[in-house]
Amino acid sequence: MKRTLIVLTILIAALALAACGGGKAQPTKASAPTQASQSLQAAAPTQTPAPAESKAVTLNGAGATFPLPVYTEWNQMYPSVQPNVTINYQGIGSGGGQKAILDGTVDFAGSDSLLKDDQYAKMPDLQMLPMLAGAVVPIYNVPGMDKLTLDGPTLVNIFMAKITKWNDPAIARLNPGVNLPDQPITVAHRSDGSGTTEIFTSYLGAVSEEWKNNVGVGKAVEWPADGIGQGVGGKGNPGVAQAVQSTPYSIGYVELAYAKSNNIPMAAMINAAGNEVTANAETMQDAMAAFANAFDERLTAKIVNAPGEKSWPIMGYTYLIIHMTENKDCAKTKALLDYIEWAISDEAAAKKAEELGYATLPAAVRDLVEAKLHEVTCNGQKVLQ
Amino acid sequence: MSNTQSLFQQKNDLRHRLGRFTNHGDRFWVAALFGSSLLILILVLMIGWEVWALSAPSRHAFGWAFISPWAKAAWNPALDRFNAWPAIYGSLVTSAIALVLAVPFSIAVAIFLAELAPPLLRTPLNYMVEMLAAVPSVIYGLWGIYLFLPKVVHPIGAALQNTLGVIPGLSTFFGGPIPASGISKLAAALILTIMVTPTIAAVTRDVLLAIPRSQREASLALGATQWETIWKVLLPMGLSGILGAVILGFGRAIGETMAVTMVIGNTSGGGYSVLKPGYTMASIIANEFAEAVSDLHSSALIEIALVLFVVTIILNAISRWLVMRVQRKTMGR
Amino acid sequence: MNGDIFAQVNLPRVYRRRKWVNNIILGLTGLTVILAGIPLVWIVIYVILKGWRVINLDFFIHLPTAMGATGGGVTNAIQGSIVMVIVAAIIAIPLALLIAFYLLYYPQTRLGVAIRFSTDLLSGVPSIVIGIFGYALFVLPFKHFSALAGGLVLAMIMLPVVVRSSEEMLKLVPKELREGSLALGAPEWKTSLSVILVAAMEGVVTGIMLGLARAIGETAPLLFTALGNEHYDVFGYIKQGIATNQSLWEIFHKILAEPTDALPLTLWKYAQQPYPERVEQSWGVALVLMLLVLLLNIGARTWLAWKRRQTHG
Repeated sequence: MKRTLIVLTILIAALALAACGGGKAQPTKASAPTQASQSLQAAAPTQTPAPAESKAVTLNGAGATFPLPVYTEWNQMYPSVQPNVTINYQGIGSGGGQKAILDGTVDFAGSDSLLKDDQYAKMPDLQMLPMLAGAVVPIYNVPGMDKLTLDGPTLVNIFMAKITKWNDPAIARLNPGVNLPDQPITVAHRSDGSGTTEIFTSYLGAVSEEWKNNVGVGKAVEWPADGIGQGVGGKGNPGVAQAVQSTPYSIGYVELAYAKSNNIPMAAMINAAGNEVTANAETMQDAMAAFANAFDERLTAKIVNAPGEKSWPIMGYTYLIIHMTENKDCAKTKALLDYIEWAISDEAAAKKAEELGYATLPAAVRDLVEAKLHEVTCNGQKVLQ
Repeated sequence: MSNTQSLFQQKNDLRHRLGRFTNHGDRFWVAALFGSSLLILILVLMIGWEVWALSAPSRHAFGWAFISPWAKAAWNPALDRFNAWPAIYGSLVTSAIALVLAVPFSIAVAIFLAELAPPLLRTPLNYMVEMLAAVPSVIYGLWGIYLFLPKVVHPIGAALQNTLGVIPGLSTFFGGPIPASGISKLAAALILTIMVTPTIAAVTRDVLLAIPRSQREASLALGATQWETIWKVLLPMGLSGILGAVILGFGRAIGETMAVTMVIGNTSGGGYSVLKPGYTMASIIANEFAEAVSDLHSSALIEIALVLFVVTIILNAISRWLVMRVQRKTMGR
Repeated sequence: MNGDIFAQVNLPRVYRRRKWVNNIILGLTGLTVILAGIPLVWIVIYVILKGWRVINLDFFIHLPTAMGATGGGVTNAIQGSIVMVIVAAIIAIPLALLIAFYLLYYPQTRLGVAIRFSTDLLSGVPSIVIGIFGYALFVLPFKHFSALAGGLVLAMIMLPVVVRSSEEMLKLVPKELREGSLALGAPEWKTSLSVILVAAMEGVVTGIMLGLARAIGETAPLLFTALGNEHYDVFGYIKQGIATNQSLWEIFHKILAEPTDALPLTLWKYAQQPYPERVEQSWGVALVLMLLVLLLNIGARTWLAWKRRQTHG
């Protein structure tokens, strides 16, 4: 009996302590204003925050790995702009982002694959906002070979598994003087639903009717190289880059930033105008200029196989997907819109993106996005004035 | 004085009332036991129900063709056509290879641990087996990608493709070339071998240890060598238990996700050759579930989960039956 | 001694052959043990050598840097793992003990058999299937990936491990103890908790530690429930909460309702990266994770063995 009593006393004491703990939270209020005002001051130079913003907001997003390197950089930079806003972005693939926003499990999604009509039908208020453009580059790992040039049809045939050896005459014709090994080609592709894949297959489909009809264009396709056992799947852009790095005699495709910052050899391409180009700021801008007016009313555009003289042919925009009207938590919505506005207009943010190998939006497109941001409503009220 | 007394009385009263509560607490106790036990039952039933209900679109769309090896449609999320056979084949072939390699191996380990190891070695060796089972599967995967595949799997694969791979009948299963990184079904199978060995060995060791000493003594007294005693007396006696261990190992192999996902290459192509990349049921779910946008795609993945769940039920039922047999046998003696 | 006799007497060849076969095969079993040990030694040594290089204080107290940048740590994963395992333990341990007591008292009833079967089934269900279940049950309805959802699926992983080991341990307690306690007039619940459980405590704690080790190393079910979060920082949330006058409940809610990283999840993400810094760090994560799991395992078993020796002389 004594023991029971002791146990009960301890229990009651614990409860009382917990209650006191709850009570103790009150007194800290006194010290709070100083800290809160400090954070307000820190935020002040950039924007004049509404009082509601003093409360910490965490925005959760997920999706494309195509822009992941720059998003992680931005998310590291953003607290110095808005100390109370934390942005968590998980690179789970464009398909993952679309599923997450349709399931309602994230505040925003990243995708470089375009939503389909039936997805808009499920959630009509979804809006894709272009954030950046980027190049998809063919990367390869052939020991001793540091230069490779390909053209559209050859690239198609490699991924069609019609060209299966590195010393194939088609490759040799484009690379005179290069010592091509007599080795089978391993094709690394995405194992997840991917906007990078959509951009890449759009290009293959644009240069080859056969690819378009037999394999198709989309986030995930049935790779012909898999059929002969020469395909390897990697998760996300990082997974493909890692697979190519670790697999000699392989070829794959990733966003430029991954190849650039890890020094993975990239192939040069013969573009639609017949010129040999490598992926860089100039060739990307050229391709974007060639499609300056390509945006449709959904604010999406496809920019593969650009006709410009210097255009890099495998390009795409990457988007954030947000809700236009179905917003409930206005502090969150405001924080998200502020973040997007900052990301597309801030100079430091743009510099970071260009450093990594992305192309920032043309001014005209940026205006379209800003206009859209101002249309967003929360509980029926406009969020940005 | 009177004050303390009244306090004492109060205390006594409280004690009395508490006592009454505590003595009647048994009703709550039994209810709590019953409730929480029911909870685990409900949990398992709910898992079954969820995977059954959520896989309905896929079951209705594809029927049995979903798991048929002869269905024309492959795994194609772009066209919303799904046939799980490549993943099922991947699971079966990797687990089968793993078991074929691991079973004799782990029985040998178990024999050493139970019958031969000197007492001084026994404890550290038992620890070793437990540790081998405890290493998280992602660590096996990491080690696999960077060390095991290039150093061990690729040479083995290259040897296989040049020997078995050129024999006409066997070239379907051992046709090369293996990717230079070693990523293949073989890699998954070999990692699984390492992962299931401690499971099978530990159970087999316990089975052997449970056999009465008298059996060994009788056999040795009749003039049998130690090996003959193990082979002709102990192993036949423990057969049911060892089979149970193998089934446990099979369950572990077929459900293993992370290590396999990291080394198998994740493609639904690859055909029948073990030297080619592929998928297993668990790894296709790990790769695609988070992004299955179309309802049919996600329900197809959940149907694979249903297949895994059903396999688990069958394996558990078999091992239950084996345990019952062992009990009946030992009780009969 | 035996050997001497065999050597002295000139035995027929068949005996010598049998002895020879015996020695060879038994020698081979010893060889298999060495072979089985190779992967373990290889993994442990390599993980320690490679992981050691990236481990420093920053590794434990800093959040990750951007991709491709050097420095930074994985405190998000460490904290996330701890939070989720605590959630799992709070849910799974009491539940598992209650179930173990039920199985102890009603082993052969129809429900008892069904529950033992479901426990086995739950421990056999591939963890990825539990992940799907967790997504459908704990994520979709609340529209949020969260530490709580991750903790709940880890509880489901832990539950059968603890149930089975505790049941075994409770069974070992002599019946007389229970009978004696009941005869003295103690109620059943008190007998169970303060007599039987206390008597079996060492074994039960061992089982719990093994369950924790299992939960902390699981990745697959977290993919669809915890998602991952490079900014998960419990101390940060508390500091921020105090700074902005949040109630305890709000801070608590923040800690549990945010998407969360975990050591195995981070390891899985980092291992498949082209960035050399991330790959280096993945070995560090592997080292921390491996030490946690192996120490929990070795600790549990050694402690049990030591206690047993102590009580049984």
